[in-house]
Amino acid sequence: MDSRFASSVAIAGVGTLPFTRGEVKESVASFANRAVELALDDCGLERRQLDGLLIHIGSPRGLDYDEMATLLALETRFASQTWAHGRFAGTVIQHAAMALDHGLADYVVCLAAFVNTRFGHHGRVGFPGFSENLREGGGPHAETLHAGLVLPAGGTAMALQRYLHKYNVDREKLAAVALGQRRNALLNPLATMTQPMTLADYQASPYIVEPLRRLDCSVPVDTSVAVILTRADRAKDLRKPPVYLRSYQGIAAGPREFVFGQRGLGINQSEEFDYRPLGGDEPVFRAAGVMPGDVDTLHCYDGFTPHVMWTLERFGFAPMGEAADWMQNGRIELGGELPVNTSGGHLSEGHSNGWGQTAEIVRQLRGEAGPRQIPGCKLAMWATTFGDAVLYGNEPH
Amino acid sequence: MAMNPTDTALPLRDFPGLAELQDLVIPPSASSQPAVDALKDGRLTLQCCANCHRHRLPVAPVCPYCGSSAFDWKASTGQGVVVSWVRYPRSYLPAFEALIPYVVLCVELTEGPRLFGRLVGKDVEPRIGMPVSAVIERWTDGGHAVAFAATDGAA
Repeated sequence: MDSRFASSVAIAGVGTLPFTRGEVKESVASFANRAVELALDDCGLERRQLDGLLIHIGSPRGLDYDEMATLLALETRFASQTWAHGRFAGTVIQHAAMALDHGLADYVVCLAAFVNTRFGHHGRVGFPGFSENLREGGGPHAETLHAGLVLPAGGTAMALQRYLHKYNVDREKLAAVALGQRRNALLNPLATMTQPMTLADYQASPYIVEPLRRLDCSVPVDTSVAVILTRADRAKDLRKPPVYLRSYQGIAAGPREFVFGQRGLGINQSEEFDYRPLGGDEPVFRAAGVMPGDVDTLHCYDGFTPHVMWTLERFGFAPMGEAADWMQNGRIELGGELPVNTSGGHLSEGHSNGWGQTAEIVRQLRGEAGPRQIPGCKLAMWATTFGDAVLYGNEPH
Repeated sequence: MAMNPTDTALPLRDFPGLAELQDLVIPPSASSQPAVDALKDGRLTLQCCANCHRHRLPVAPVCPYCGSSAFDWKASTGQGVVVSWVRYPRSYLPAFEALIPYVVLCVELTEGPRLFGRLVGKDVEPRIGMPVSAVIERWTDGGHAVAFAATDGAA
């Protein structure tokens, strides 16, 4: 076993507020602080012990690191902040781990506190960051306004149409993702979606951007999640069992990648090619000395249902081009071979930019997931269509 | 800008929606200005690598295939095939309100690069592999942008 990552870092505490729409009336600082207090209580640390701060989604939907530190009375010696996109949940965790490994801080709080629903819908005129659609390299999800290609859904729909054609896949099979994650959400009191979904509901759901239906799309929510990480040797002495970072790998980018599509589809400027995923040879698996089949539960970025399908393929859970078939008959649900997004994910718990999933990974590995608990859950994975991943375990190796 | 003398200008038509294009296009820089200017003259131009001779989009300082920074501007024939398409049953931008439902294509040009453009003509059902030809649309503020029409006899 490659022991480069001998679990030097662990998640020690998590605080999560319910995922809601339009209900947050307090300031973002107050909203964020409630999650921080829950996380401190979870691990038994004092606020003054937090000396590192990482922000995912800054102002105006959230707060930037400087105002957050000031308003929450955090005296930090390490702080950073990512671009305001959901794709960075794994990256934020990785930055925390690296900072801890190198002694830049002893206790890092990762804070995802943002109020989306005050601003309308992502990608619409007036939503913060709309001007990103006119970046030199095009919109962050291939938005091309003069062509009428708008919304994050547009790029995913474009990739999906090509994927369905290239691999001869029936788009109706995506129902397995939408229905499965809704069933999970109904077992999660924090989730925003509380009504059951039937196959008929899914099939009757109108197109947002054909071939994506409304029920293929995630639900925007207001999110406040705090995750406290520390070195594994310190985490052992805290209130709850540590959730160890077994290994991780970063986001892939470049001319062969399109962030919201499978590799090799040839969407946007990426070239079409015969993509053969590395599967168990991905660095994240090699570093931890495990294989995809060892993973007890997968949590992935699911802005739209196809992202789950593509993540299953990219990380070798399902053969390339066959994930739609692979995930049928409850295979990705609780009680199935690989429960996916057991808290409901972005599709039904609410679009937390990956933080609802991170909190759920901690619950599953601690045995705190209640009716959603996977018996004997030892190894959980965060992974995305865009190539980053974190393996978490309840043992250091 | 020196153009290939054999190239021909693409068909020009008025954009059927209502909007100022300047709010919907990437602000030009000195690097992209030749392509923006060529569009006004009815030409879709591409950077062509002087080393490996492959065309590229969008405007970039380095060839994605060989890494060379030397390039020439070349006019595209505007001919291509549909790689993928999506349909918007409602508009999320005022400019396209009058056009719904409308289709956006991902087109692979015969020169290689891929780009997105609206499908011109409401009675055309898109399909992957369909041959299309670029047209240049003139917007109400005088701006120009590329769209695509089914190549004659191909729809």
